[in-house]
Amino acid sequence: MIPQAYILEVTDLTKTFSGIKALDAVQLHVRKGEMHALMGENGAGKSTFMKLLIGLLTPDSGEILFEGASMKATSVHDVLQKGIAMIHQEMLNVPELTVAQNIFLGRETAGGLFRWLDDSNRNKQAAELLAHMGVSIPPDTKMKHLSVAQMQMVEIAKAISNDVKVLIMDEPTSALADAEVTILFGIIRELTQKGVAIIYISHKMDEIFTIADTITVLRDGQYIGTHPATDLNENSLIKLMVGRELDRLFPESTTPPGAEVLSVRQLGRKGAFSDINFAVHAGEVLGLAGLMGAGRTEVTRAIYGLDPLHTGDIHLKGQPVTINSPQDAIRLGIGYVSEDRKQLGLIPALSVKYNITLGSLSNHADGGFIRSQRESTAAVDVMADLQIKATGPDQPVVYLSGGNQQKVVIGKVLQANPVVVLLDEPTRGIDIGAKSEIYKLIHELKASGIAIILISSELPELLGLSDRVLVLAKGKQTALLSKEDATQETIMRYAMQP
Amino acid sequence: MKPIRTLLSSSALLIALLLTGCNQSTSDEKGGAGSKKLVIGATMLSMQNEFIVNVHDEIEKKATADGVELITVDAEHSPLKQVEQVESFIAQKVDAIIMNPCEVEASSPAVAKALAANIPIINVNSETSAKPSAFVGSDDVESGRMAMKFIADKLNGKGNVVMIHGYMGQAAQIKREQGAREVLKQYPGLKLLAHQTGEWDRAKAMSLTENWIQSYGSQINAVFAHNDEMGLGAAKALTDAGMKDKVIVVSIDGIPDALQGVKKGALDATIFQNAEQQGSKAIETAIKAAKGEAYEKQTLIPFQLVTKANLSSFLKP
Amino acid sequence: MKNGLPPSPSKTTLSYKTRFGRLGQYGLLIAFLGICLTLSLITPRFFTVQNLMIIVTQVSINALLAFGVTFIIITGGIDLSIGSMVAVTGVAAASFAHPDTYPVVVPVVIGLLAGLLFGAFNGFVITRSHVPPFIVTLGTMTIGRGLALILSKGRPISNLSDSFNFIGGGKILGVPTLIVILIVAFIGCSVLLKKTVIGRYMYAVGGNEQAARASGIPIGKVKLVVYTLGGLLAALAGILLTSRITTGQPNAGQGFELDAIAAAIIGGTSTSGGTGTMTGTLLGALLIGVISNGLDLLNVTSYYQEVVMGAIIIGAVVLDSMNQTNKN
Repeated sequence: MIPQAYILEVTDLTKTFSGIKALDAVQLHVRKGEMHALMGENGAGKSTFMKLLIGLLTPDSGEILFEGASMKATSVHDVLQKGIAMIHQEMLNVPELTVAQNIFLGRETAGGLFRWLDDSNRNKQAAELLAHMGVSIPPDTKMKHLSVAQMQMVEIAKAISNDVKVLIMDEPTSALADAEVTILFGIIRELTQKGVAIIYISHKMDEIFTIADTITVLRDGQYIGTHPATDLNENSLIKLMVGRELDRLFPESTTPPGAEVLSVRQLGRKGAFSDINFAVHAGEVLGLAGLMGAGRTEVTRAIYGLDPLHTGDIHLKGQPVTINSPQDAIRLGIGYVSEDRKQLGLIPALSVKYNITLGSLSNHADGGFIRSQRESTAAVDVMADLQIKATGPDQPVVYLSGGNQQKVVIGKVLQANPVVVLLDEPTRGIDIGAKSEIYKLIHELKASGIAIILISSELPELLGLSDRVLVLAKGKQTALLSKEDATQETIMRYAMQP
Repeated sequence: MKPIRTLLSSSALLIALLLTGCNQSTSDEKGGAGSKKLVIGATMLSMQNEFIVNVHDEIEKKATADGVELITVDAEHSPLKQVEQVESFIAQKVDAIIMNPCEVEASSPAVAKALAANIPIINVNSETSAKPSAFVGSDDVESGRMAMKFIADKLNGKGNVVMIHGYMGQAAQIKREQGAREVLKQYPGLKLLAHQTGEWDRAKAMSLTENWIQSYGSQINAVFAHNDEMGLGAAKALTDAGMKDKVIVVSIDGIPDALQGVKKGALDATIFQNAEQQGSKAIETAIKAAKGEAYEKQTLIPFQLVTKANLSSFLKP
Repeated sequence: MKNGLPPSPSKTTLSYKTRFGRLGQYGLLIAFLGICLTLSLITPRFFTVQNLMIIVTQVSINALLAFGVTFIIITGGIDLSIGSMVAVTGVAAASFAHPDTYPVVVPVVIGLLAGLLFGAFNGFVITRSHVPPFIVTLGTMTIGRGLALILSKGRPISNLSDSFNFIGGGKILGVPTLIVILIVAFIGCSVLLKKTVIGRYMYAVGGNEQAARASGIPIGKVKLVVYTLGGLLAALAGILLTSRITTGQPNAGQGFELDAIAAAIIGGTSTSGGTGTMTGTLLGALLIGVISNGLDLLNVTSYYQEVVMGAIIIGAVVLDSMNQTNKN
């Protein structure tokens, strides 16, 4: 392959916040049609870097050359006009508008009145675009009715529909199931063949090595290096990213499972799932596998009392229980960590301390009056136990990194002394270092005799942590596999069953 | 603190108006079918205002006695609503309309419309710029004159006065102020120390007076309030400050509470506006006009000064 | 003013926007002190013990209402019916407050009970239906006004007993009763908001209702409590107003809800819920009162007062939105 010309050249880019260097003389050279992965732990400066590229922030020094000319970005719109687009990790869409309207948002009037697109035309274009991507989402659906994965697909479609030259993707697959990831990679390959350069940020190693041509690594705001993907392997890349060798990701299970803690029979909820039967034991991790929309999240939500059940019953330690609300669930000893920590996990404006004690406040109160001392002690203990990094217990949780926010949610759940914990995508959107800490934590919970139900779309993670795997497909249970039988292939086979 | 209200309330008000839009009451449901019973429509400024309620009570009493069907609607201070109400009276082909106008200008189209439809319209209590078939009420300028004249006499033409206005821009406020200022001009010794709106409200006038007491203290010799509610509020503030016996308080309307106030010495005088007579004359004129009989184009009910000396004739048993 | 508002974020994330936002917390206090200082310089009559007491007295009724509204706005709600509640409770209390009829506790208890029921009704409808509080309380605002007119037959209820008139018009050791009640209510509300489980739950519900629910917080109960508290405080205000002006008026309290909401917003309570303090609200109410008093002292016409007050509200909301931006 003849090396293409550089389309984007970044030299010595530096950005300082309050005297602290968030980025220090960072380099990046991206060729036309190249799939360029940008790697680094959270806090390595990737987000700041991307914000500088798309004009959300202005650099202190350094130079950005786009197509050989110096780019003095003044606004996001400006950059977009030049042909640099970004798919955000935090999905930015208008929930009340349709898929098609979101895809063409901001471009309705771009060409003046005569290029105004009527809805049916717009829907047709959107449908073609989505079909081309291999996604079947009706273009006239309102965004708010879509799943997270579907929204992600729409985001990608929106970026593609712009005439991009450089496309930045920040964790585009974090909400996608494997089948959808395959589709996405197909789209990416097609784009690169057309000469579009892609800057790809992801924490998923296997993805990087599947599709990246070149890898640039950042650590603590410093430029570490750029390598062809073929020169690296998973271990050497992690070493570059964290500056040390990580322990083995998935600790070996030592404790045998104990007595049955939670069992469900014939669980069903109209339009979501039906006839679900399983039991989970003390010290056991039961993995829930399945594609997007298989009903994994819905099952855990219903057990936790967030959605009503229509059929079936739940037994806890052999006793039948009725759960009509999360309050009931918590009282019975069921904890829940949602896949959507922003919506369901955290009160952003409240402090780390207040978030941690929120679910168990009555334990820190007498007669309705909060005992501040007791509450603080409890929160500080949790922060130390879970190694939550914050300036202190009073820091608003919104300022924490994704991994630390997730630990706050887990800490809150553990405060209520649960016997069962439902973990829905506990490592979504957090970096590899924090991931391994969460894995360790799951292991500790297991060892302490807590029963765990784990949902993860990352099969290696699910397989590494689970003692048994329950596979769901289209709201039905298709297999319950032992650790020995559970492999990526068998799980996928059962997950794709009609 | 009206500003905040104005700022934030527009949307709330809009919906509130929609919600409360249709509160009509018919006083006489017997409504003789097919008989030649007279029908008179009345639209009142606000049925939350005690004085207006009193005027209306008298209209209603007389209507019942004379076997006239009376349809009363509440304009709730909205001239727009009032015009619509009159339009609906015209559509119902009432025999005469009694209007207690919300505003001088904004309620005028109602008069024009009624006259164009050949339905006599009688304004009661306050005026519109358009000339109605007849006007029944009292001359507000005169009440202002009387109040300020009383103060001038009491102070022997020398002293400092403060004045509490009603809602700025309303006919009653404008005329009462005009009358008061006419008298002030005649007495160079009388000085208007301060004047401010109390929005016809007792609590607001009380706060205002408290603040004035801080500002002027014993310099204040007399208070003129545009209505009794505000007069009573001012009197309360003066009493609380231990100054009541040194300051003269006069207000207008002669509501029962104010008569009690005169009796107790809280108010030195109130200018009695005769609600009963306004009401009864209004309905009398309306009936005459409806029947096509001759009627007075203008009936002015005189104000009366009420002090301790003549109080007994106003106090109802 | 620490509770509810984000304390200083970490050094590494402290951008200029954050610093500016933090200024917002103290901006109100600075503005308040600045205005007081200016008035003291312009007129010697402003900074006297007596005048300051009068300001607090005049502010107290709005402040009580604003405390109730603060609870409600923190949970992400709104209550437009408090002005009407002032009228209903005031009229209800006045009906039982004539001399030589009942002991003074009777009208007080009846007034408070009326407010409690009214507020609980608001809360009940809001939690049971999924109608937004704005609409529900807009409806009850009108209902309340009607009830007050029905109870009083459209006429003020006067001739109240001296002991009843003492509640809002008397003095205890030279301090007006209104000030004493205001201080007690302020302490009570602050403690409730900061130191109790239900107070914390209010922040959680307003900060993120879904997450609060998932954390096992009884959302319905919390909302019922805040609207009931709003009713109770409105009743207290209604009784005090009636006592202060020695008459129960069916049209009292018109527009009070907006003054109260304004005090809360000026005091830093975010209209999107989740933040706010009683100290801020008290300061907001005092600011409104000081400006109103100051302009009266200077004999400035009320037209200017409207302009000034509007500008202050917008300023407060702009500061609030800066805080919001820097959070996101």
